[in-house]
Amino acid sequence: MKHLPKHLRPRWRYLAVELETWPDATIDRRAFQRDLWYAGQNLLGDPGSADAELSVVRFEFGDGIGESIVKVRRGETESARAALACIDRIDGFPVGIRVTGISGTIRAAEEKFLGKRGQVPAERNVVFENAERVAVGRNATADIRLDDAFVGATDLDLV
Amino acid sequence: MYEGAHARPDGPSTVARVVQTARAYGFEGVVVRNHDDSSAEYDADRIEAEYGIDVVDGIEIRADSPDQASGSVGHYRSSKTILAIHGGTNEMNRFAVENEKVDVLAHPVAGSGDVNHVLVKAAVENGVRLEFNLGAVLRKSGGRRVRTIQSLRKLRELVDYYDAPYVVSADPASHLEFRAPRELRALGEQLGVSGAWIEAGLEEWRVLAERNRTIQSDSFIEPGVERGHYEEES
Repeated sequence: MKHLPKHLRPRWRYLAVELETWPDATIDRRAFQRDLWYAGQNLLGDPGSADAELSVVRFEFGDGIGESIVKVRRGETESARAALACIDRIDGFPVGIRVTGISGTIRAAEEKFLGKRGQVPAERNVVFENAERVAVGRNATADIRLDDAFVGATDLDLV
Repeated sequence: MYEGAHARPDGPSTVARVVQTARAYGFEGVVVRNHDDSSAEYDADRIEAEYGIDVVDGIEIRADSPDQASGSVGHYRSSKTILAIHGGTNEMNRFAVENEKVDVLAHPVAGSGDVNHVLVKAAVENGVRLEFNLGAVLRKSGGRRVRTIQSLRKLRELVDYYDAPYVVSADPASHLEFRAPRELRALGEQLGVSGAWIEAGLEEWRVLAERNRTIQSDSFIEPGVERGHYEEES
């Protein structure tokens, strides 16, 4: 079908989203999209989530952190933000999620609000609570592997 | 804006990690409110110096009966800046709002707990903050979430009517459960609360912390009377 003339096309806003989880989690774009739509539907209902759009247009994930761009209809950014906040788990992995900024173009959202966390995570041996453990961390954080779970710590806990 | 969080051993993250995350998310302080049977050990000054936001020493007393809680309140009142009661049963809710030594009644409408006009009036009288806990809205689904939203609505209507003091929290038990203030505002708006109302509730933690620090400082004698600095006569 012929595409709409410019003044009739919907206006979009792009939400830059940062994800964080434990180092053993693997999350792909499809899982994130599915859980985002679920969260949208559960919180906003069918009409609300249809209005908000909530489609994932960029997604990157590796080593326990992820970045994404979510496309939202202009004027629905606050309801989209609320839906994002209600994502507690993706594919069963608990996640921390935060909107770092909103832009009118994908490129601006990426350049201004993503890629700030830097530093590839490194594994190291640490002493935590008087026992030697393996920790994965970046920027002074350390996710320490205990027998069956992780502990979120920072360099302050490791002295 | 402050957040009232649980840290290890209440959850998987240490106090330092919780505080670091809170700063990244734009909070100005964290109230560490571990339950009294799993209290956190940490060096607040060092964490404050490293991350530059306020760390408030709090506690959430979890007890089966008012008698037991009453003992804990007496025990912790003088050493903790913010004292909360783990609510969620009618018995404990009533105990908390009728005790002026209590600062916060945490999650009053969780579990089998409920609030009514009598409890809210008592809370106003004793200055006990009722917690508007968004944890279950963020992390539960289905029928339980619907019931939580219903009871939060009831709580908000009562709080508004009696102009009762309240705090707002996402009740994070790990650094992953934190949500930024703007996200909480947006969520509040979906629940029919204004963003400003949510923000005032997050800010209330700070008000409480500052008030209690003044009261507990050495120079404070009673309301309106403080020990000042005087020049010694030569």
